[in-house]
Amino acid sequence: MSVCPFHQVLDDTLALSDPAPGASGARRDFPLMPIGQAVDMGRTADGTPLIDPRLFDSTEFQRNPYPYYRIMRDHHPVLYDALHNSYWVTRYADIEACYNDDEGFNTIPKGMSNGVLGNTQLELSGVEHRRRRNLYGRHLVGQALDKRIPIIERLAEDMIGTWFDGTAPEGAVVPDDQHPHRRSVELGQAFANEFPIRVVCQVLGFPDEARSQFFYWYSSMMNGLGGSETAHLGIGARQDLEDYVGELVAQRRVQPTFLYDDAGNPIGKDIISELCHTVVDGDLLSTEEITSNIALVVGGGGETTRGAILNMWYLLLQQRDQFDLVCADPNRWDAAFHETLRCASSIGGQPRHTTWDITLHDVTIPAGSLVNMVDFSANHDERVFADPERFDVFRSDLYTGKIIRSGYDKDGRRSHMAFGVGPHLCPGAWISQQESVLGSKVLARALATRQVSVAIDEARMPKDIDGTSLAPIGLGAIRALWLTLESPGR
Amino acid sequence: MTGFRTYEVYQRARLGETTELIKPRQLTSEAYLHDPYPLVATLREHYPCYRDWPGNAFWITRYDDVTSVFADDANYETRSRATMCGRAGWGRDLGDELDVLRCLERTADIHGESIARRLACALDRDLATEVLARFPFELLCTAMAVEPTAELARWYLLIQRAPGWEPRSRQAGLDALDALAVWAEPLLAERRAGGDGEDLLSVVARLGGTGADLAVTLLEIDHGTLHGVLANLWWHLLTVPERLADVRSDPLLAKAAVLETMRHSPPIVSVDRFTRHEVERFGRLLPDGALVRLSAAAANRDPSVFGEPDEFDLHRRDLCQREPRGQYRADGLPSGISFGTGEPSKHPAVPDDRPRSSYAITRDLAVRMTRVIIDELPAVRLADGAAPTMRSLRLGEIHTCWSLPVEV
Repeated sequence: MSVCPFHQVLDDTLALSDPAPGASGARRDFPLMPIGQAVDMGRTADGTPLIDPRLFDSTEFQRNPYPYYRIMRDHHPVLYDALHNSYWVTRYADIEACYNDDEGFNTIPKGMSNGVLGNTQLELSGVEHRRRRNLYGRHLVGQALDKRIPIIERLAEDMIGTWFDGTAPEGAVVPDDQHPHRRSVELGQAFANEFPIRVVCQVLGFPDEARSQFFYWYSSMMNGLGGSETAHLGIGARQDLEDYVGELVAQRRVQPTFLYDDAGNPIGKDIISELCHTVVDGDLLSTEEITSNIALVVGGGGETTRGAILNMWYLLLQQRDQFDLVCADPNRWDAAFHETLRCASSIGGQPRHTTWDITLHDVTIPAGSLVNMVDFSANHDERVFADPERFDVFRSDLYTGKIIRSGYDKDGRRSHMAFGVGPHLCPGAWISQQESVLGSKVLARALATRQVSVAIDEARMPKDIDGTSLAPIGLGAIRALWLTLESPGR
Repeated sequence: MTGFRTYEVYQRARLGETTELIKPRQLTSEAYLHDPYPLVATLREHYPCYRDWPGNAFWITRYDDVTSVFADDANYETRSRATMCGRAGWGRDLGDELDVLRCLERTADIHGESIARRLACALDRDLATEVLARFPFELLCTAMAVEPTAELARWYLLIQRAPGWEPRSRQAGLDALDALAVWAEPLLAERRAGGDGEDLLSVVARLGGTGADLAVTLLEIDHGTLHGVLANLWWHLLTVPERLADVRSDPLLAKAAVLETMRHSPPIVSVDRFTRHEVERFGRLLPDGALVRLSAAAANRDPSVFGEPDEFDLHRRDLCQREPRGQYRADGLPSGISFGTGEPSKHPAVPDDRPRSSYAITRDLAVRMTRVIIDELPAVRLADGAAPTMRSLRLGEIHTCWSLPVEV
């Protein structure tokens, strides 16, 4: 039957003789685009742009995610990703509703984190979640925290003081041979990596000698979540943490230890001692449970705050006028902190699983499906925040007050989604804000009193594809921030 | 609130349970598309229930595990292709209707051999594309009693990609489904008026089917297995001429060759099922709705089930020769798992008033085509310099030989 040159149709339709290697496989090399522009991934007949799920594994997406999130918000508010067997929800309003519906969108443990961190409150729901969350949540907010603020502040002052008296950690402060009044400081090594860890160690009640291990625990666990190629390192670190905590727990079950305020008065038991003596459902928490809770505080309390401080300074120093205005009125550091998290936070979103079939935007999500709530995208949703890609500490549509579990939506201001909303609002949100703002205030003050000017050390920072402009933050936090400090000439 | 609980057992991995021997990205690599066997062998040997985090799936690779999940409809479900491409409820799948099944069986039995002979005789250069890939399409057109036009061929190929993950092909597949539905509508009306035709369109019309119903029915029919088994079988025969000589000398070996191909080189290398509810198996808690990826490639080469599993052996004595119905060891021997050949029947024997299963029909068609090529092309051999290989064009698509250049 000569009507049909079948082999030709076959060749054309399936692109059998397509010579481009890798073009049809499960991996695709996406070109790196100018920031804000998306690679064309095809369109439907009516012009709707398509999203190729290989994008989510690409370098391009890591550095330039926002134009793609915009396509998803505008055209695929619930995107089914058959390659990763998951759904992506990207609009602010949808994510807010899903976070508040913790029955339909449950948190029971199927996530990548629980293999390493353990059964933390991230994976609990309802009353089980509330009971455990309150065990130590109170150490991270309110009076217990307020009393400790002077200690945290002094800690920051001590650490930043070392920059100027020559006792800074190896490699963190580099003198400039050409310019005697100039030096380069890596803000991470010199301050931001260590500072949140010290705070967390104190609140947990870890002995000082555990601090050196701390970095290993949290970086290995964070880099070793399920599915990563370094998962065995994460699991090893978790085992190591458990061994260490096991001994502490055994001691503190017998002899609890306390936190003290600046005047030396006891504020209460530290978190570990508290957990050691907590009874849930008529039974003491096991060492395993205690370790899991500590692992979460270790993982959540270190990396995220480090990232917030680095991102905040990176963004502010690129907007010099805003930096100067913030320094002029230290009360504005809170707004700067919130705008930083809206613009570029450390955590991209949270997974949920559907408890039953749920239809959202005409897409039926079967029970048990993984649904990725993209906080990054919610924070850049133009339905909520005008001109969302712009970093503006003084924007009028962002709520920058006290963090509220139910979220804030009044007077044209909305809270950002970096801490989530609803029952699983980040319990460390408040202490994280305190640390970032306090640390930044101390740093700005230290520079001002010494009349030291600060700028990004562009020569030492990674560049974008054009080779000249600074690399974008992309997803997550920048790895390091080099600053140039210049003292007044004598 | 059924299905909802606030508190659940979780499973923390221990150091001894880490899976360093394989990286999840290897399971989506070009290497996997070309030759999945070494990779799935690692899984089968070390991680029989492998948690693939980036793919959000559990890989099951041992023969006994795969067959048990495949046969266990109480705990696992296969989602239809229409569901997977977001068209659940758009049209009815009439593929389980007795009349449709009888029509397909009748077409295979009455026309299978003549179509095979016509295609084989017209062979010019490439056995895979001109004959083997075309065979299921020609059968389908004959079943529908329509001309095998280029347009129809394109739709036929495109709809098979509609459930895939690649967005352009997915869209093209959905567009082709729509086009097919529109194309079928007037034909169905015509044949409904015509009365008692025995072709597929008349049967669908009598069942009250619409264009969309026909499109979905065609979508759900497995076209890939017949094409893939034949292409892989002929790859085995052409690349090792002694095998071809063997099959020429003994007509009974054609069936053995088909069965051994289904075992050694199944075109559908894996099938995805989903848990219907939380299931505790393989030392794990598989959550509700979890994707369980059953690797036929791994199971069919399980050394605890088949001796020398990597050898293609026409005289294999540890392979079941009968149709696997309801279980995979119909006469005490394991069958090769080749999915997409229809759900195994629960009946111990096929009742007289039922058509044969699509497994049996596919197997018989493959045997028939193989015998026809042997009869009609006595001198067929691989073209000089040709070095054909098998590969999947995309992750999740059939693993087969896409080109077999021959001299006749």
